[in-house]
Amino acid sequence: MNRQLAHLSDEALVALAARSEQSALAELYDRYGRTAYGLALRVLRDQTLAEDAVQEAFLTVWRTASRFMPERGKASTWILTLVHRRAVDAVRREQRRRADSLDQAAEPAVEGAEEDAFLHLQRERVQAALRHLPDAQREALELAYYGGFTQSELAERLGQPLGTIKSRMFGGLSRMRELLGEPGTETSWTPTT
Amino acid sequence: MDAHDLTAAYALDALAPDEAEAYERHLSQCEECREQLAELNETATALAFATVAPAPPARLRASILDAAAAERTNVVPLLRRRWVARGLAVAAAAAACIAVGLAVSLSQSSQPTVTASVVLDPNGTATLHISGLSAAPSGKTYEAWVIPKGGSPRPAGLFPGGGSTTVRLRGTVPRNAVVAVTRERAGGASTPTPPVLFSTPT
Repeated sequence: MNRQLAHLSDEALVALAARSEQSALAELYDRYGRTAYGLALRVLRDQTLAEDAVQEAFLTVWRTASRFMPERGKASTWILTLVHRRAVDAVRREQRRRADSLDQAAEPAVEGAEEDAFLHLQRERVQAALRHLPDAQREALELAYYGGFTQSELAERLGQPLGTIKSRMFGGLSRMRELLGEPGTETSWTPTT
Repeated sequence: MDAHDLTAAYALDALAPDEAEAYERHLSQCEECREQLAELNETATALAFATVAPAPPARLRASILDAAAAERTNVVPLLRRRWVARGLAVAAAAAACIAVGLAVSLSQSSQPTVTASVVLDPNGTATLHISGLSAAPSGKTYEAWVIPKGGSPRPAGLFPGGGSTTVRLRGTVPRNAVVAVTRERAGGASTPTPPVLFSTPT
């Protein structure tokens, strides 16, 4: 696989994509496509729907790259947020929502190329942080993020006031942020050279 | 509705569409929420990395890149030109050939992995993007040309090739002009030396 652009930052690649440099889009896909697909598959539980969500998200990157502003946040966050939104929209539309928590869900057999060591490390780190959260906060994050439920639906489903759900979400994300802020926690591409 | 306490839900995409719209309107007025959202977005995205999946099928990558290529309406792909053996008096007729876009030449060295495109700005400035073109041999250079419809080729920039190249074409590129690339002696030429390696379709 040609990785001529491997030394560039994500943000530089987005800038190149804004100038119609297709190899930049390809490099962004090579960095984040697997994570994007894993996320979409987790939310949608269907390969075709997951592929569609990932494709639409990357095409949105392609179409709107000129409007991306690095001051507003990381390119990787932007890309994966696009994927997540598409996946959540689709799972709601297709009425496919499921309430399995992350570790209850059967892990699919990982076929094909071995998982990148970087991705593996990130996954362990985030899963460890999730385990550190109080159950109620973790549940709120997982049901919302992976399940595609709205906060109102969660309130109803869990029999809790809306305000409680809001604070669990906020508390959970804040605590995760602290835990992941430990040194060495990078969730964006780090050049290997 | 107090929108400040919706930031976490918005970061998790856990708002209904009308709630999300209302929050977005609030966001445009609230710097504090924008800052907080930027932080929480990053944390929420970390949850994406907690998933595990098999590698996506190869067709997905191809599908995305094909669709992206097809979508760029302001991008004109450069096509490799093929020889149509006509016995043309090459030197004298070169300019005319290129101007009317007669198929001109077979590249001497096959370079199957070259992709090239011209991106036009609305005000007529253009950039040439080429990837996979091998570097010009020593003593040679690549030269880009802009050929207005019915006019003569005008030099538009020299570049050495190799890897990915972006060339800002000199001058503006009028509508219906052709952009072409030839290989020239170092320092360039004032008229193109056939073969034309790539050109925009006419």
